[in-house]
Amino acid sequence: MSRVRLFDLARPSRQHLLGYILLAPAVLLVGLIIVYPLIISIDLSLQAVKLPRMGAPRAPFTTANYQKLFASSEFWMACWVTLKLVVVVTAGSLITGVSTALLVNNRFRGRTLARLAMALPWAVPEVIAVVIFAWIFDSSFGLMSWLLVTLGLSDGMIAWVSTPGAAFWAVAITMIWKGFPFVSIMTLAGLQSIPTDFYNAAKVDGANVFQRFRWITLPLLMPVLGVTLVLVILWVFRDFSIIKVLTEGGPLKSTQTLSIMTYDQAFGFFNFGYASAVGVVTLVICVVASLLMLGRQTRAMY
Amino acid sequence: MNRTPLQSLALYGTVILLAALILFPVYWLLVTAVSTSADLSQLPPSFWPDDAQWGTFAKVWEERPIPLWLTNSMLAAIGSVTLSMVVSVLAGYALSRFTIRGGHSLGLFILTAKMLPATLLVIPLFSIFRNFGMIGSLWTLVLAHSTLIIPFTTWMLKGYFDTIPRELEQAAMVDGCSPMGAMVRVVLPVATPGLAATSLYAFVLSWADYAYARTFLVNAPDSWTANLGITTMRGEYSTDWNEISAAAVFVAVPIIVIYLFLERYLVGGLTAGAEK
Repeated sequence: MSRVRLFDLARPSRQHLLGYILLAPAVLLVGLIIVYPLIISIDLSLQAVKLPRMGAPRAPFTTANYQKLFASSEFWMACWVTLKLVVVVTAGSLITGVSTALLVNNRFRGRTLARLAMALPWAVPEVIAVVIFAWIFDSSFGLMSWLLVTLGLSDGMIAWVSTPGAAFWAVAITMIWKGFPFVSIMTLAGLQSIPTDFYNAAKVDGANVFQRFRWITLPLLMPVLGVTLVLVILWVFRDFSIIKVLTEGGPLKSTQTLSIMTYDQAFGFFNFGYASAVGVVTLVICVVASLLMLGRQTRAMY
Repeated sequence: MNRTPLQSLALYGTVILLAALILFPVYWLLVTAVSTSADLSQLPPSFWPDDAQWGTFAKVWEERPIPLWLTNSMLAAIGSVTLSMVVSVLAGYALSRFTIRGGHSLGLFILTAKMLPATLLVIPLFSIFRNFGMIGSLWTLVLAHSTLIIPFTTWMLKGYFDTIPRELEQAAMVDGCSPMGAMVRVVLPVATPGLAATSLYAFVLSWADYAYARTFLVNAPDSWTANLGITTMRGEYSTDWNEISAAAVFVAVPIIVIYLFLERYLVGGLTAGAEK
């Protein structure tokens, strides 16, 4: 390499430059399709606009959208539905996911097959999961109602998608089925990173299976579980497809989460300004919630 | 590890019961697809179709634009995976190997991008795309999907590159490779499993999207993706459950096959980025 190149990126003093060049396309693209739209969103939420035209002069600054939002019972109802769904789905996914992971972490014949089976719902697209469960929760010939009637838990067929309480559970069950494999996959990876020496040492000291779980498995799993928990919560918060296709947020807005409300206000009623305000509030809740939960662990997410 | 026969029985029993419970919805989809409409409108339901109607698959394939929907989904996925991978391989490598000023805040920022509700982002994107007359085009979807994908793939790949020793490309550079050459010829081949896992994950993300497709393409049936198309088969008053189930099988099968094929890599890749 005797040639003197103007931009010899192999020179140690120039190497950091290469780093910036490699990063540039990502920064550019993310800026163009995430940051810029996000700024537009925040700006929209501060204007009283229905369906904005790009290039048109900006409508006057106003906080009317936010005032209307905090005064509307629909918004508080959506917050409540979102909270309920987050609690139920996260708890359900966590319990199912961790227990299936502990189960298939045992050594047994057919373990690989069992692992594949238990992670399968993760690979099924949300809309397809909804097609399956919409039929299981069908009000006339659905399996779930029939099962409940047969077991004597219900007097008659349940109109799942037109009964508020039932619709909520139909959504929650669909989401748990779709969401728990992610917890399972992450937990399994976490379990496998725990050295077996720890368990052997504990056995020598006479710790029983529950003590080993409580004092070895659980503490060492905590970092992974923390990150997983946050990702699941954010997923439930943001979900659009499952609820939209299964119940459209109904009946009587009983399954209308903040995400569904954002979307319907924008594309159902063309209140882009108001919808953006709902979306911005949702985002703020997401960010604050996950920072609170992760705290110093934030770095663990990447 | 020695188990008593009773413990073995309990273990296998639990695994089989749980697997059956988890797989049942998928089994039920298949049963529904091959059942007759008459079978489906009776109680108690039959859990094993005596008279399997395999013809439903052919019928749905011919009478509904399923080949078109699948092609569109495939094109959108290939497009957004390609775009995202090129961009995020470069970015992930840069974040892994170079000290970048503001690298940490950039990380925090991408973290925020993961938290963005798609329903919020879709509002300004709709305005922007409408302004450029891009509503109804698959290209719009490719761009929109890459917003979903790039934050994930960048960090998955950074995590993966971190596990590859730097000595590899240093040795290559001593042998006369340029930094880029070292990355392309030495690091990328070693990173193949990670690249495969990340691409697969990106593919799944694109294939699974419904929100963006619904918003940007709903008035352009020629560009409908499989997920969007299939929701239109749910009727206002009644739905042919056997037909929609058969269609759902066509949509779910490609992704499940890819998934089964690459499961091992996937788990490694997914956790490489998150578990540190």
